Amino acid sequence: MSVLEAALPGPSPPPEQHAPPPDSRLVSSGRIRGMGTFLVALAAVMTFAFGLGVPSSDRATFILTAPPAVNVAPLTMSVRWVSIVLAVLCAAAGLWLVFRREQRASYLVFGAGFTLFLWSFLTWVARGAQLNFVQMLATTLISTTPLVFGSLSGIMCERSGVINIAIEGQFLAGAFLGAMIGSVTGDLWLGVLAGAVAGGLFGWLLAFLTLRYGIDQIIAGVVIVAFCTGLTTFLTEQVLTPDQATLNSPQTFAAIGIPLLDKIPIVGPVLFDQNVFVYLAAVLLVVVHVGLFRTRWGLRVRAVGEHPHAAETVGVHVISVRYRNVILGGAIAGIGGASFTIGSVGQFSPQMTAGLGYVALAAMIFGRWRPFGALGAALLFGFCVSLQSFLAVLNVGIPSPFLAMAPYVITIAVVSGLVGRVRPPAADGAPYRRE
Amino acid sequence: MAINDQAHDGARVRRPRSARRSALVAVLSASALGATAVSAGVASASSRTTRAARVAHASPFLACEVTDTGGIDDRSFNASAYQGLQLAKAADPAISFKYLGSTSTSNYTPNINTFIAKKCGIIITVGFDMASATQAAAKAHPSQKFAIVDFTYTPAIKNVLALHYDTNQDGFLGGYLAAAESKTGKVGTFGGQDIPTVTVYMDGWVAGVRYYDKVNHAHVVALGWTPKKVRTAGSFAGNGLFTNDFVNQTLGKTEASTLMAQGADVIFPVAGSVGLGAAAAVKQAGAAHYMEWVDTDGCISAPQYCSLFLTSVTKGIAPSVKAATLSAAKGTFAGGNYNGTLTNGGVSLSPFHDFNATIPAKVKAALVSLKAGIISGKISTDPDSYPAG
Repeated sequence: MSVLEAALPGPSPPPEQHAPPPDSRLVSSGRIRGMGTFLVALAAVMTFAFGLGVPSSDRATFILTAPPAVNVAPLTMSVRWVSIVLAVLCAAAGLWLVFRREQRASYLVFGAGFTLFLWSFLTWVARGAQLNFVQMLATTLISTTPLVFGSLSGIMCERSGVINIAIEGQFLAGAFLGAMIGSVTGDLWLGVLAGAVAGGLFGWLLAFLTLRYGIDQIIAGVVIVAFCTGLTTFLTEQVLTPDQATLNSPQTFAAIGIPLLDKIPIVGPVLFDQNVFVYLAAVLLVVVHVGLFRTRWGLRVRAVGEHPHAAETVGVHVISVRYRNVILGGAIAGIGGASFTIGSVGQFSPQMTAGLGYVALAAMIFGRWRPFGALGAALLFGFCVSLQSFLAVLNVGIPSPFLAMAPYVITIAVVSGLVGRVRPPAADGAPYRRE
Repeated sequence: MAINDQAHDGARVRRPRSARRSALVAVLSASALGATAVSAGVASASSRTTRAARVAHASPFLACEVTDTGGIDDRSFNASAYQGLQLAKAADPAISFKYLGSTSTSNYTPNINTFIAKKCGIIITVGFDMASATQAAAKAHPSQKFAIVDFTYTPAIKNVLALHYDTNQDGFLGGYLAAAESKTGKVGTFGGQDIPTVTVYMDGWVAGVRYYDKVNHAHVVALGWTPKKVRTAGSFAGNGLFTNDFVNQTLGKTEASTLMAQGADVIFPVAGSVGLGAAAAVKQAGAAHYMEWVDTDGCISAPQYCSLFLTSVTKGIAPSVKAATLSAAKGTFAGGNYNGTLTNGGVSLSPFHDFNATIPAKVKAALVSLKAGIISGKISTDPDSYPAG
């Protein structure tokens, strides 16, 4: 239970008296005080549960080296003393937040304080044992990568005013076609392309249904998910299974080390020795961010998502902007789908995306419809998946169903405590009619 | 859940679009059921089914399988049961067969009822999870014959043949082999779900590792499953690593990566098709990382990963489903409980395939004598009989 208890937010900030400020990035002072109090509470847990609660002889070892990085000696720590020192620092961060209520650095300080808590928690978990810390971070990326594609897809669509609930379906379509084309042609890049085409096709379908016929975007999205689930299951049994060796046995992208960078301890193996999907996600992240917030195209997209009628009066063609974005968004989700098969397990099986499309949607909302915000939420979720796995292997005695819940509970608790109110693009989900 | 909460929160803040976001909440929760129900319908319309249906007019006996959520092509128990039906047809051409896939647990009862309406001669339900649905249907239709894979009813039900397998016996052999082949001194297992039909494997496997340590004075540690010290017979309770579903291969990859990160070099996933995610991770980890497959011979069901499989810890679902189907067709069907063991060949360790040359003769000989010891009852498969490494 300790994970869940640790994840519960501290006393919630008092309800605000006035309307939220127009810029959603500003943090209310009540929230800052809440974050500070939460850190102080964590410091108390660290001191008593992880510090004084263990014998002073307990040691924890973190393994910090993984190939191809240069060798770093494992870090062996006294659980009690490390926890107490970290608790003091964490409490200091919390008190600074409570009393200074600095707007700008508040998230940074909170993040630092929470990281100290995690460090202490991990030493406590690994007491009397070894924890492969580098691999833990590397494992985080396994489930983070598809989420990044999924939430970028959502951002592309929703910034232009179309809700894309269909990410899960576009994932499945991309995973299916990516595996099939990658397997038949033996060319993995064609598989990526096929994934993008499949996702883009269902993006087009979403756009067509909602923009041409004005069908409710959420209904249309849900129908597409159901359709893709059924279709890929059906086609797997009909087409792939009878000739598994030809149609559903693609190779997978191997990890590519970036010269020199992959030698950096800890960071190298985690970030610079990954397969193309990880690098592709990173590139897309920057492209979408810069595109949306630094280019004329992005300005138009956001105008269409916020106030389509105003955009139309200045000569932006709302419907074509939306078509283009939803198709592009679908294609990004399709590439994310392909990462499940040719980027990971090397074959398609029905429902293999296991609801991650919906988690990606949540990451987008938690990230306030901003690429790097969504990345933060996706990383948190991925880290928690990795964490629950390590906790189970280290046999901390938490029942498995609770561990399985942990990524969802921690993501919701931390992110909702941090993010609070979010504001979607004003015209998100509203059908557009010319007047 | 995450989306629902967030959407609900959002609905309170925003005025004009609040109704729309509430619709999102409602639709999303509905979609969890709706999407799966729709897809279940599609999934069942398989050509194999229609082909089977086409020959059905010539044959008086129809055998029907309801799969669990793993699907007909899980390379594991659903596929094995289906193979059993194919074997039955090969033995008796008068038999035809159909199956219905379940994409969620809510499909079990409707699928069973569909088959009852189709007057199937025998309905095979696959999996521990389907036990209560099968029991309810069997009580309501006492003349309908059923066989369920992976369950034992106490007391036995007259019109249900419950097929159960003591996979801790061959799991024990698999654990011994894993420990013998490990270079790092650590081996790891994970399960699909914390249910007895899964943990029985892990339990026997861990016992095999501990037995290896005891007789060879070694210190191989099994990660991923810690059997409970005190427990009731047949419960196979403990604490371990689980994906908590049988479809999320990404999570299977995560679990296997974690086990290898913590030093394990032989991985034993007990999670049906989720094990394919583990295989991808083991393959990526490169040389000197191995696996053991579960339920079926991995070199036949997942040949692309054959070079990773030391062996497979199998249970004879196909032969026992075949036997049940043939007995129902011949009119000799008897309900009750069947128990597959090393003795009757209901469970077994598969051939070593690619590793036949590399596994030392000493280890092979030890496995043969262990098998004899388990059959005679001289060697216990309870992990608590041996000190934990």
